[in-house]
Amino acid sequence: MGLLPFEKRWLVSVITCLIPSGASERLPEGAADLPLERFIDDLLAHAPLKFLLGLRACLWVVSLAPCVVLGRLRLFHQLGDEEQLQLLTRFKDSDAYLVREMPLLFKMVGCLAYGGHPRIQARLALEPRDETPPDWARTASQRAPETPGGDS
Amino acid sequence: MSVADLDAPASPAGMFGLRDVAERALVEDSADVIVIGSGAAGATSARVLSAAGLEVIVLEEGSVLSAPRSDMYTSFKHHWRDMGLQAAEGRAFTPLLQGRVVGGTTVMNGAIIHRLPEPIYDGWAAEHAVNRSFSYAELERVFDALDRELMVGPAPDAVFGENNRLMQLGVERIGATGNRIQRSVSGCRGSAHCNQGCPTRRKQSMDVSFIPRALEAGARLYYQCRAERVRAKRSRAEAVEGRFVDPVTRARGPRFRFHARRAIVVCASAIQTPGLLAASGVGRRSRLLGERLQAHPGTGVVGVFDAPVKMSFGATQGYESKHFWHERMKFEAVGMPLEFAAARLPGIGPALMQELASFDHLAIWGVQIRAEAQGQVRRGLFGGTSVHYDLTDADVERLKLGVSRLIQMMFAAGAREVLPGVHGLPERISSPDQAAPLAALPSDPRRFHCIAAHLFGTAKLGLSPHSSVVDLQGQVHDSPGLYVMDSSIFPTNLGVNPQHSISALAWLLSERLAERKAP
Repeated sequence: MGLLPFEKRWLVSVITCLIPSGASERLPEGAADLPLERFIDDLLAHAPLKFLLGLRACLWVVSLAPCVVLGRLRLFHQLGDEEQLQLLTRFKDSDAYLVREMPLLFKMVGCLAYGGHPRIQARLALEPRDETPPDWARTASQRAPETPGGDS
Repeated sequence: MSVADLDAPASPAGMFGLRDVAERALVEDSADVIVIGSGAAGATSARVLSAAGLEVIVLEEGSVLSAPRSDMYTSFKHHWRDMGLQAAEGRAFTPLLQGRVVGGTTVMNGAIIHRLPEPIYDGWAAEHAVNRSFSYAELERVFDALDRELMVGPAPDAVFGENNRLMQLGVERIGATGNRIQRSVSGCRGSAHCNQGCPTRRKQSMDVSFIPRALEAGARLYYQCRAERVRAKRSRAEAVEGRFVDPVTRARGPRFRFHARRAIVVCASAIQTPGLLAASGVGRRSRLLGERLQAHPGTGVVGVFDAPVKMSFGATQGYESKHFWHERMKFEAVGMPLEFAAARLPGIGPALMQELASFDHLAIWGVQIRAEAQGQVRRGLFGGTSVHYDLTDADVERLKLGVSRLIQMMFAAGAREVLPGVHGLPERISSPDQAAPLAALPSDPRRFHCIAAHLFGTAKLGLSPHSSVVDLQGQVHDSPGLYVMDSSIFPTNLGVNPQHSISALAWLLSERLAERKAP
């Protein structure tokens, strides 16, 4: 199950709000500085259907939430940085379990990409780390073809 | 040091994957025994049976870990079931972590070794008559052999690491006892990457220990090979059927049919084994197949220290406290990779980035409880399995007490702040008093973020076909020749990490199987 192009843009905007650029001197890169769309494509191609259905449902809820939560007739990605953060903070602090799990789900997805990239690990001086970026972070020409039956 | 500089694993001679059979319409083979699964149970069974002179075929759904990478996503994608996204459903979602790779979950775990606690054995003997099958002394003999073969020992000084050292300090300062964890590792380099597959291949997971030994003794292993059902002939289990499937790309290969002359041994885990038995139309007489799932759910607490902790160096899990084991809880240091830790931190946006920037100063310790809860494994709506599991109120009370003790340990060890990770408490606390409201919170599992990695009991053993799925030799009551030897057959959970107990039971039952006359 894939996401439609506009849904992918929504997802990128949620993750980049959670993991922003320029918020820390030691970690100036945010999720937007990585090829996040390629990560999302890879995730969508391999994750189990049940997870993807859940992810999509949460994405729609968050995207349409500004209207209900902030009283703004806009989609999430159309909000400014501060309003986006304010909205996700409301979700995170909610007493409703399913609501407060939503930002966590997106954070988990974003952090799998962000925390696993050698460039970020190098910023934090983590060892050992891979010399090459993971498959999803390479350009198409750098990527090894995904041969059925190949070892890993 | 980089992962790419490190040695590649041993050659997979005797192993056959999708690419080796892709051109064939049907793959057929036969052996004395077919073992389904290559984790702690399956690999041990294959090692014992092949050493006894039997011809063995091992089937594994996952691939071979040949070049571990340090990022969790790649590890999830290639070597964990459902990309690590499998979860039990109840009032809360509980991730169920299982390896899907040659070597099973032993490739991804912390290599923690514990013997089956004697009080647990005594309970099994009193209520499930396991003493009629094996004594604790026989288990001890096997544990001794396993210790030698898997090079079990405590985490050494050179790679103990600060996360473990601080936990030792915290445990001692609250007046509790603890110990360095016994691990199956030889020459650990402290890369703290146990969960991604050991980059130096020092961890004695099944893919570098019992699987190679079984292959040397003549066993063959088919990987990327998904068993779908067991076929019987004149009511005796005699073949396993299924299909080769690439677990990552889901590309389908040929079907297979493997014939067993003596026995089929299912070691597919407490989640997959019931499904395989149900699809084969066996094991259902007692109505307990897939029922009474037990686990050790656990949660973690983060401490922020002034001095660097550097969780990225040292034994991933090197220190534990069983001081409160009689209260059904056990504490462990957990060296988490950045990706896991990041998801566990409370912040979002700029706050998260500040937390990540101080990753060096974070320590993470966990509590796992011997939960009373019992769940169910069913066929899933979207294929695969669906797991229902919900903690009891008493379990949640234990979690609350466990988290409260972790918070005390953290401050006793010198933490500047603690991030309890409990909904209803402040995200950050700077003194143990601030955790006091924890005791008064409702017993609701949704306030915690638990995972469950140890799973038991969905095809439990016993004397009577009316109250158990398999007999005391592991043979399915209504299917001669079909055995289950994984943690599905455990009557209860253990309160300690189960790898060694799983291997020990598989070892003993496989010895018995090898001694039995051929049909």
